Amino acid sequence: MAIVAQTSKFSQISRPVLAWAIGFLFFFPIFWMVLTSFKTDADAVKPEYLFFFQPTLENYINMTSNYNYWRFAQNSAITAVVATLFNLAVGIPAAYAMAFNPSRSTKNILVWMLSTKMLPAAAVLYPMIFLAKGIGIFDTHALVITVVSLINLPIAIWMLFTYFKEIPREIIEAGRMDGVSTWSEIKEILVPLAWGGIASTALLIFIFCWNEAYWTVRLTTIDAATLSKLIEGNRAPEGLFFGRLSAVSTAAVGPIVVLGWFCQKQLVKGLTFGAVK
Amino acid sequence: MSNRSLPRLLQAPAVFLLIVWMLVPLSMTLYFSFIRYVLNNLRRPEWTNPNISNWRGFGNYEFVLNNKDFLLAIQNSLIIVFGILILTVALGILIAILINKPFQGQGIVRVLLISPFFVMPAVNAVLWINMILDPVLGLQGLAVEGLNGIVEDLCNLPVLGGFFSLWPELEPISFRATQTSAYAVIMMVTWQWTPFAVLIFMTSLQSEDQQQKEAAVLDGASTWAQFRFLTLPHLARPIAIVIMIQAIFHLSLYAEIEIVSRGNGNKNLPYLIGEFANNNIGAASATGIFAVILANIVAIFLLRMIGKTLMD
Repeated sequence: MAIVAQTSKFSQISRPVLAWAIGFLFFFPIFWMVLTSFKTDADAVKPEYLFFFQPTLENYINMTSNYNYWRFAQNSAITAVVATLFNLAVGIPAAYAMAFNPSRSTKNILVWMLSTKMLPAAAVLYPMIFLAKGIGIFDTHALVITVVSLINLPIAIWMLFTYFKEIPREIIEAGRMDGVSTWSEIKEILVPLAWGGIASTALLIFIFCWNEAYWTVRLTTIDAATLSKLIEGNRAPEGLFFGRLSAVSTAAVGPIVVLGWFCQKQLVKGLTFGAVK
Repeated sequence: MSNRSLPRLLQAPAVFLLIVWMLVPLSMTLYFSFIRYVLNNLRRPEWTNPNISNWRGFGNYEFVLNNKDFLLAIQNSLIIVFGILILTVALGILIAILINKPFQGQGIVRVLLISPFFVMPAVNAVLWINMILDPVLGLQGLAVEGLNGIVEDLCNLPVLGGFFSLWPELEPISFRATQTSAYAVIMMVTWQWTPFAVLIFMTSLQSEDQQQKEAAVLDGASTWAQFRFLTLPHLARPIAIVIMIQAIFHLSLYAEIEIVSRGNGNKNLPYLIGEFANNNIGAASATGIFAVILANIVAIFLLRMIGKTLMD
């Protein structure tokens, strides 16, 4: 009990205060961006309006005319949604096979898949541009979706594999005994059982696809350009448009951050491939 | 029989796609790295076609190795990656230990803390370099100006004024400049990835053996000794995983560097490749092969580690 008394002072007062301070510190840049998005471009750089100012919605109202925001947002949404669905469609069967019908090479295949993730994107960028222009699909959704899907596929399979592995094999095998086909085994037994894991995989892959910045910027010009491209193309020169830039940035990351809040608990398990419990 | 082979066939599409994704562009890069291949050259238009007759042997590799930016880019890649890794792991452990024990509002602090992880890299860079780090209009500029103003006021104090007038005037730092831009990149990525490390370390701390800890306390072990001999070994695996996942993401860091400095004096390998690729595809491809080799060195090391720890 003496131990408890010894640490209680720090635990009761300093720890929460310090913890809250750190939480705010990390959140501050986001808070600052949201706050600035309600200032006019002129007010945003005036020290006297740092925290107290006349809030305005003009940056959000003019987002379409300033930046054509919705077009880019639409492209981001199409890319992320289709790529996520693709990842599930290819990933679920693959992870199912590896989790419930493992062969001697399964482990090596999994590690190899992860190693493709380490291939430096820059090293293969030019051939991709060359091929895409050759086939005539440069700056199309098809190209961006394919690439963004493939770079996330290893992560999706690993995550799904981690979740599937936890399902007792007997349940799946019981279904097999009853003569259920492989397809309905996945559809009617596996998917309902692993629903939570599949959902958090989907959420995380969606976030990664939405935030992807290397390929989407380099493989598009206008037609299939995503929000990453929009923001990168409009980095403000020396603080000219802090207000409107903050608004468009807030709109670009806001929904994703909120989605992230919902999946933060599953994030650990998914991203550490179940190795950290 | 079909009962076993069909399920296994289900992994074929994924494997096939990833093989194609890896082999096709990579072999093209390898091929381009051995030929003269440029996008524009009026005098030698034949070089603008990736033709086997433009064979150059190891010429591109020599060109890249003799380029003064090349070693700088490798050095920068490593500085940035290691800087981020050290900071995120150290901060991650400290913060995780701090917020691990329950306190009022733990859930909210957790949500506040994890938020940066979901911000898209392009926004992260734009936000930091403009609104926070800008030497004049950003918060840094305002803070420096404010501090200088306070010191100036203090100089007018009757007695202490003499003391304060000795203080140097603070100069804001321009993070778009050559060397400092690497620090800006390290700072913004650390901000984004520390939450990730915290989350993983926290999860791991929750499974720490409390009885062992209590026994150590009863034996009179200091807080440091408890940390050093119990907590740190317990965190070994999560630390390895945090390092591995971050290495995957940060070796190909690009958007941040592009936005912060346009590679002005602070290129990493992906950026240098991009720069070569503006015209000289041969040189870009040779650099790409070097990047692949570098990534492989890191990967062999990491995958051996992960292969051991993850597949039990």
